[in-house]
Amino acid sequence: MIKLDRLILGSNTFEGVSYVSRSQSLHYLEHFGRPENIVAVLEAAFSLGVKTFTCSYTENVLQALEAFRHSQEISLLPVIPNVYEYARDAAEKGVLGTIVDRAKRVDMYQKIRFGLRALGKIKSVISRDILNLLVELVDFELASFKKYRMASVILHGQMTDLALSSHNKNIIDIFQAVIRDNYDLQPILATHNFGTLLPQLVQWGIRIPIMAPLNQKGFMMKPTKEACEKLIRETDYPIIAKKVLAGGRLSPEDGFSYLTDKKTLAVVVGVGSVPETYHTFSVARSILKIPPA
Amino acid sequence: MQTERKIRVGIVGLGKMGILHTALVNMIPQARLTALYDIDKKLAKYVDNSGLQVPFYSDLERMLNEVELDAAVICTPTYTNLPMAEELVKRRLDMLVEKPLAHSLEAAKKMAALAAGAGIIHATGYLLAHVALYRRVKDLLADGVLGRVFRFRSSIYISEVFSRKKGWFYSREKSGGGVVTHIASHLIYLLYSYFGPVATVFARTQSLYSEVEDCATAILEFAGGTVGTLDVSWSIPGYRLTYVDLTIEGENGTLEITNDYIKLYLYKPVREYPKEWTNIYRADLPSCSDFELGGEGFYEEDKDFILACLERRPAAVSWQDGLEVQRIIEAIYRSATSRKIVGLEEIG
Repeated sequence: MIKLDRLILGSNTFEGVSYVSRSQSLHYLEHFGRPENIVAVLEAAFSLGVKTFTCSYTENVLQALEAFRHSQEISLLPVIPNVYEYARDAAEKGVLGTIVDRAKRVDMYQKIRFGLRALGKIKSVISRDILNLLVELVDFELASFKKYRMASVILHGQMTDLALSSHNKNIIDIFQAVIRDNYDLQPILATHNFGTLLPQLVQWGIRIPIMAPLNQKGFMMKPTKEACEKLIRETDYPIIAKKVLAGGRLSPEDGFSYLTDKKTLAVVVGVGSVPETYHTFSVARSILKIPPA
Repeated sequence: MQTERKIRVGIVGLGKMGILHTALVNMIPQARLTALYDIDKKLAKYVDNSGLQVPFYSDLERMLNEVELDAAVICTPTYTNLPMAEELVKRRLDMLVEKPLAHSLEAAKKMAALAAGAGIIHATGYLLAHVALYRRVKDLLADGVLGRVFRFRSSIYISEVFSRKKGWFYSREKSGGGVVTHIASHLIYLLYSYFGPVATVFARTQSLYSEVEDCATAILEFAGGTVGTLDVSWSIPGYRLTYVDLTIEGENGTLEITNDYIKLYLYKPVREYPKEWTNIYRADLPSCSDFELGGEGFYEEDKDFILACLERRPAAVSWQDGLEVQRIIEAIYRSATSRKIVGLEEIG
């Protein structure tokens, strides 16, 4: 079974995500648009012993990793594929056209890294072979992270939930096979539908850690907070908690206190500044009784 | 044992929205995903390995002849909405059509007339009607918390178009328009649902990158006397997702609603709301949806349609509502072209 640090630094803020206000979102976009500000947060987290970091395939994060002096001492949890980028471009080129375009863009890079394999595999896009396509997307996006240590690879929640709602076990099977066989890593599934996903995985006989919202307010806990809590109580499935501060509506003290009696493998939390990094992770260590690294 | 009736649904069009609705319908207990249609034959391969276990057709008539359906979700390019609806209404299928209702006012009128004459359940995909925060504001206004509403200002932005774009979406003839038709229409529906019918419109639009408009500003005067501004752009940096900001002024105070929160300021206590500030954040509201895919509201939108089909009641957003939005959009375009105030009675 996968071994992860108990505390993981999230990356939503680095992508400008805020559930509190537009002004906060804009501040994050502007502030973390400069990679040195991401590096400052990474430094602060590292100094507190937080050495695992979820990240998406975005330019500012990749530049920050290049600049971070401890980048070879941390573990990454890439979240792939970058669904929002595909969704945004799909209006112009269609879903598959967007993927073809993306595949073409990284083709030169792939040629260097993997030889001429990528060009041939674009056929899977043209033939609408979604499963082959998933393999390609994993390879395309992970290429940028290969020079760092990866603790695991997380399937984006929108992909997991699309597989779930299509009852498509093949997507999950192929994802875990690629991550295990090609990268020698354990996969993780992100979801916004924990209460539906977990019973389905059990029925399919699949045991992969799930990263899902878990917080005192029940924010994004589907179908209900109570249903999710019951599942956590009654199963021993490995859970990685996210949205633990309910998108910024809970203090770290309240957010982490709620988790003390919940069985979780790890906790992911994003921060918006260096002082917030020190406060949030210190409180987490204290309340969740995680010894200093 | 009696089997619970399920609505048999076909998805028409398997682009981005079609894939999303396919997945959502598949998760609604009262629905049975029954067939999929797209003109692109190669999508058969996609459907084959999608795990959906439903037949795929690239011939609409064949699908309708071979499969028994109760309802359809139309997700094809906007200019095909009317011909699709004409075909599907012959089979008396209930229909949810992705917004906007049609690519032109004339087509929208024909669709509304079709639906009215056929006695089918019809819904338009205006998502904000199904999002918890916006529903709460509708209740607040209906309960008279703000008192008489006299003024508003509103905007909807997304960072999407910063260069010349290709495809049907950016062709006025095929998509019906640009950011007003495809982005502002969400906000226009919301304003219409809050304040009622529009009386006059004065607007300006600008095209920066293609033949359709990329930004617009309008002054809307509602029949009930409320007056306000609408500002829209898809060529503005800093908005990774569509973002709505609406401030409403009434005799009892003001209310601001965004994607993230409601901020209510009252001069005196009204009902359960105290004097001065009440802040309600998205994360504070209880979950109103069993499932989430593609963002808040999509599952609720599809579920409302399915339940409306089962219960033979009107859907939350009807084609008549879709037509009203289309009339306001048309007034915006006519005003932008004529550079004059356009009355909605001129639109017909």
